[in-house]
Amino acid sequence: MARVKFLCDADRCIECNACVTACKNEHEVPWGINRRRVVTINDGKPGERSVSMACMHCTDAPCAAVCPVSCFYTTADAVVLHSKDLCIGCGYCFYACPFGAPQYPKVGNFGSRGKMDKCTYCAGGPEDDFSTAEFEKYGRNRLAEGKLPLCAEMCSTKSLLAGDGDIIASIYKERVMKRGYGSGAWGWKTAYRETVAV
Amino acid sequence: MLTKRREATAGRARLQGIAAGLASGVLDRRSFLRRSGLAAGGVAALGSLSLGAVRRAEAGPVVAGVKSEIKRNICTHCSVGCSVIAEVQNGVWVGQEPAFDSPINRGSHCAKGAAVRELVHGDRRLKYPMKLVNGEWTRVSWDQAIGEIGDKMNEIRAKSGADSVYLLGSAKFSNEGAYLFRKFGAFWGTNSIDHQARICHSTTVAGVANTWGYGAQTNSYNDIRNSKTIIFMGSNAAEAHPVSLQHVLSGKEMNRANMIVLDPRFTRTAAHATEFVRIRSGTDIAVIWGMMWHIFQNGWEDKAFIQSRVVGMDLVRAEVAKWNPEEVERVTGVPGAQLRKVAETFAKERPSTFIWCMGGTQHTVGTANVRAYCNLLLATGNVGVYGGGANIFRGHCNVQGATDMGLDITSLPLYYGLVEGAWKHWARVWEVDYDYLQARFDDVPAKAGRPARTRKENMELPGIPSTRWFDATSFNPDDVDQRDALKAMVIFGHGGNTVPRMPDMIKALEKLELLVVADPHPTTFAAISGRKNGTYLLPICTQFETEGSRTASNRSLQWGEKVVNPIFESKDDYEVIYRLATKLGFADRMFKNIKVANNRPVAEDILREINRGGWSTGYSGQSPERLKAHMMNKDKFDLVTLRAPANTPDVGGDYYGLPWPCWGTPEIKHPGTHTLYNTNLHVKDGGGTFRARFGVVYADKQADGTTKEYNMLAEGSYSKGSELTDGYPEFTFGILKKLGWDKDLTEAELATITKIGGANPDTVGWAIDLSGGIIRVCLDHGVLPYGNAKARATAWNLPDPVPVHREPIYSPRPDLVAKYPTRPDARQFRMANVGFSVQKAAVDKGVAKDFPIILTSGRLVEYEGGGEETRSNRWLAELQQDMFVEVNTADAAARGIVDGSWVWVHGPENAAKARVKALVTDRVGKGVAFMPFHFAGWYQGVDQRGNYPKGTDPIVLGESVNTITTYGYDPVTGMHEGKVTLCQIRAA
Amino acid sequence: MNAWVKSLLAALAITVASALLPAVAQNNNFFPTKEAVQEEKLLNALKPGERISGRISIPDEKAANLIQPEGREWRLFHQEKLPVIAGVALLGMLLALTIFYLVRGRIRIDHGFSGKTITRFASLDRFTHWLTAGCFMVLALSGLNVSIGRMVILPLFGPETFAMLTGYGKLAHNYLAFPFMVGVVLMFVLWIRDNIPNALDLEWIKQGGGLFSKGKHPPAKRFNAGQKVVFWLVMGGGVVMSASGWFLLFPYMAENGVTSMQFWTTIHAVLAVIFIAAMLAHAYIGSVGMEGAFDAMGTGEVDLNWAKEHHSLWVAEEQAKAPKVAPAE
Repeated sequence: MARVKFLCDADRCIECNACVTACKNEHEVPWGINRRRVVTINDGKPGERSVSMACMHCTDAPCAAVCPVSCFYTTADAVVLHSKDLCIGCGYCFYACPFGAPQYPKVGNFGSRGKMDKCTYCAGGPEDDFSTAEFEKYGRNRLAEGKLPLCAEMCSTKSLLAGDGDIIASIYKERVMKRGYGSGAWGWKTAYRETVAV
Repeated sequence: MLTKRREATAGRARLQGIAAGLASGVLDRRSFLRRSGLAAGGVAALGSLSLGAVRRAEAGPVVAGVKSEIKRNICTHCSVGCSVIAEVQNGVWVGQEPAFDSPINRGSHCAKGAAVRELVHGDRRLKYPMKLVNGEWTRVSWDQAIGEIGDKMNEIRAKSGADSVYLLGSAKFSNEGAYLFRKFGAFWGTNSIDHQARICHSTTVAGVANTWGYGAQTNSYNDIRNSKTIIFMGSNAAEAHPVSLQHVLSGKEMNRANMIVLDPRFTRTAAHATEFVRIRSGTDIAVIWGMMWHIFQNGWEDKAFIQSRVVGMDLVRAEVAKWNPEEVERVTGVPGAQLRKVAETFAKERPSTFIWCMGGTQHTVGTANVRAYCNLLLATGNVGVYGGGANIFRGHCNVQGATDMGLDITSLPLYYGLVEGAWKHWARVWEVDYDYLQARFDDVPAKAGRPARTRKENMELPGIPSTRWFDATSFNPDDVDQRDALKAMVIFGHGGNTVPRMPDMIKALEKLELLVVADPHPTTFAAISGRKNGTYLLPICTQFETEGSRTASNRSLQWGEKVVNPIFESKDDYEVIYRLATKLGFADRMFKNIKVANNRPVAEDILREINRGGWSTGYSGQSPERLKAHMMNKDKFDLVTLRAPANTPDVGGDYYGLPWPCWGTPEIKHPGTHTLYNTNLHVKDGGGTFRARFGVVYADKQADGTTKEYNMLAEGSYSKGSELTDGYPEFTFGILKKLGWDKDLTEAELATITKIGGANPDTVGWAIDLSGGIIRVCLDHGVLPYGNAKARATAWNLPDPVPVHREPIYSPRPDLVAKYPTRPDARQFRMANVGFSVQKAAVDKGVAKDFPIILTSGRLVEYEGGGEETRSNRWLAELQQDMFVEVNTADAAARGIVDGSWVWVHGPENAAKARVKALVTDRVGKGVAFMPFHFAGWYQGVDQRGNYPKGTDPIVLGESVNTITTYGYDPVTGMHEGKVTLCQIRAA
Repeated sequence: MNAWVKSLLAALAITVASALLPAVAQNNNFFPTKEAVQEEKLLNALKPGERISGRISIPDEKAANLIQPEGREWRLFHQEKLPVIAGVALLGMLLALTIFYLVRGRIRIDHGFSGKTITRFASLDRFTHWLTAGCFMVLALSGLNVSIGRMVILPLFGPETFAMLTGYGKLAHNYLAFPFMVGVVLMFVLWIRDNIPNALDLEWIKQGGGLFSKGKHPPAKRFNAGQKVVFWLVMGGGVVMSASGWFLLFPYMAENGVTSMQFWTTIHAVLAVIFIAAMLAHAYIGSVGMEGAFDAMGTGEVDLNWAKEHHSLWVAEEQAKAPKVAPAE
């Protein structure tokens, strides 16, 4: 089985936010929830780089480790998913997540933040593939359709790569070799405890 | 007008040349061709492409188990032309899939493209026609709306003349819509018909067309993959054309290319440059001359290229000599050593491409800026080659096509101009009497010391640019060079916050008797003024709800399929234009050759009519059938060359989208032209030469009274496989005869030519030959129907034949204004352009002291244009929720402004002010501020949400930068000054 | 700042800006590709508690954090340290109490029940106690459940039932926090007067409260030193639990977002287990551990002998105040 990952080649990312709206479009994500976002480091300064970030689907995912109700599970493709039926909206996953991936429909409202929502790697949730319940809770299940996450598929500059970790790492390595520079596979060390060394 | 006089002089000089040539007994090949060219020049005046036309800027949620239908369309935002694949279930657009087969975007989108599905779901669209009754928005029927609008137009026509109705079209039209609207203008009888090209690349089109023939991107986005050096100047493609960066960055990586960004602002594009050079806004010419100074100084220019393919470089050289590194640094702020390096890289590490956008064009010196860029390309031999060229990134999905279709105050469709020959050509295409068309125009009585104009003269006079319609409304009618001032605006798909001096515009809006906004959204026009009556809103659907072709920046045409039916009561442009024409009584004539079904003109038929008349620009070969075949075979086209292998069924050998010129009739299967002026290819493979548009010899009057002759034709350069191995003029039937090539014409072709030429068929030029025979024969002989000339480094017909640095109207450097003043006041486009007086007053009053910060403007990736559509899109609106001003960290610290706080930006005119959020950043240099131009709905601190019809207000509102921006117009095109003004910023 | 100072500053700012004229762009030439930031370097340069963050256009500050490695520290705390702390504190306390019980047994009233009672806690006192205690129990159980229930309870019920229970638990935890806080405040108001430490307490402590030797009762007023400790534990713990809980109830009100959330959850959790452990002891001694003690908060009427043994000075005071209170036969 493939071990899927995301890789954002920051030397290609131009903060065009296509990944963000593609995600909104594909999953009808409501206002205020950003399963994916683009952060610009050193904005306006010589070292400026933008990085598209969402759930990285970590190896040994911290969210899953800290969840009080164990609502997370990892698929055979190594996609970290969760059950909104089990989620109690406690926010622990957000504290543990190194990437700020978990999102809550309500913020600052005591009592409940609502069910946590996050990037599904376009792989839906525990419900039956393509079921209405799955769509409504998690969005479309592209993986089951044999497609990759739309954010990466629609990335304007092919900066955001999705797919088998070994393959995307080799694409990235090849790029770095070819062009002679690379600012790093952002988040890999933190998420997968590995770096794409070139 | 100064420019006119010059041109007249040039014309006489040419006539003398003819006599001389004929008198000489010896005819070598060159003089034969020259002479023929002169004959062609004569034809030009009669029929095909007049110099007048050239001189003018003619500008130039998914249901499981339900089968999804797949529809193919094109993103309706920028000009890259990204394919959109729509999944439709039960007539509802349920999903967007990446179009991996498109060689242009290969599945990619930017934020806008990835969110287009929302456009046809948008609950904030206009839902039905509306009318303002005593300040209240009232729903009306389509019939009532069209009826009342038509009656009012006729009333204004009777009282004030046809010119008192302004037709503002759109770069959001399909080609067919744009063409229909232009034709509508012709039948209505005014040349005051314009669209967004005025405010984006009108200066590019004028500058570039005046240099080498066609005013368009010479290469393509994909071709940048071949470049070794890429300069971006005044272009933030990462935000404005994000998908283009796919090609740019891939090219940069594969070739280890130099990517140099010259800009006042450290943009997202600059962040990926190998080198960033910060310049002072509005000093482009000084920067380019500064680069060329080093190039000439060190002999890095491409001498052979200049010798054979460029004319007038010596005059440029003389101007460039003034720009030594010290002066350049004094004016632009860029040190000599740095520019030297950039210049050397550009000249030596070839092919080099030069990319520009609004940062170059939106200036009082816009045309001159563009010409300076072209000169840099010409001097370094970077035109007409893969990986080189002027890669002009246009802004809207069909701004190229709408420009081509003549939504322009200076031309009929396809750059034929407004001369008699042009009108007669289109009258033949339309099968309507020339006299009928003429009778539709006003005659203009003498006033304010100006002579009267006949209908014919008025018909051939450019209209009023969209940048100044409000002056034409507010001015005393005596100061507007037409029957009466403007009384009505009919606006299809154009934002109301896109032109500077909004306080002045609002006053004019309130004076208008009729305001028609035909658009998917109400636009700023509907909401910003205190109008109480006489405003109509017509809901127009998006291009996803209709079909038609659109032309991307690289000149490729793509056919968009209807994804879903128009939502609510909206209708497409075709139907609304048809209904209006019907009401106004000329639909039967206007739609004589266009099939209309259920009040909807058939898009394919419109395109066929364009094909029948669009010879001049090679819009003749792109039949609907060929375009549709391209859409079904996208995967066959190469990523870099854009060409399909020769043996591919249906599209074999074609370049993707048949980029114009696609010569001759569809039947001859010209592949289109990927790279303009590329002599390394046979014309049948899309090869080309510089266009012979400016005569054969130019006699330049010298100071000492003598004349200096310039050979305008190419010398020793010709396209691959050409039977003529030197320069040659544009073709006429007469020239074919002289070459003995007329025998190649078929009988039918000959009959058409004879019919057009009447008594004098020899004068029938290639561009008005409705048979396409002359073009066909030319292609068979390997020559370009438009001739083979030199590019003009000096454009003698322009106000500044060699570009001259001129300080912006509101210059931050009053000390430089005396030496580099703007051009003198003059009457242009029916009104006075008093830029000089304004500049002088600003210096005298010390405006730069009170307003010490340079204000520039530009795009955000999430929004487009006036922004009403994108700000109504919830997926996009969430990403940019507040209008802001970028303030440099030092300027902010000095003013006690913190990031994210409210500030007032004050402008130097009309005591204008805007309340916006501060974005404190070093993207802008010290003393520079930047504001995005997509916002509207707040005006000088007041939220105007309540002014929109209920439920149609965009999600995000904000102050418009154009409340602050100021006076200043390019003398050639009327382009506004959108990139340099002054402001003061204070914490709110 | 008054208006004229403001305008003066503004004027000054303009002068400064004008002095910087001409506003020609500085020599700002750089090589973005070459100078690009490197993730590796940024990560290595991070100090504890720091994040890699940048600019983002959406108005959500926490979204501007790209990578926050301390999430891992928090996870380590939450998954490995907290269960240990909880285990040691709670099991330790239970063990200690069990040993104490085995060794000391139930502390009897030395003189047996007198049959006479004295009012120890009025209804308001009892209400306050039980309000607070009731909330505390739910808070404690639901809190413990959230922290370690997954290891202990989930296997018993299965994920669906457990998630539902935990969900209700979380709701209860969030809402009962408020009456708990009210209770703490009331306790403070009602009992602060009698909980000021004084010299007697030293004596009481010296004698170990008489807990470890039969028949020995150091003198005490209304509250002995042990009870004072409980009082102050409840006060201190209550305040800190409330404060930290407040931050968790209203997420991201604190300046630095997720870091503060992590900090407050840590504080809340550690203190909670200590608090619970302490309250176990309190509950033991107030019920099983001591004969006659429960009545204080049960009926409010305690046996006079019990009172005399444990709160001799208080009984004296009460009787002096109101001799009518003890009408013998």
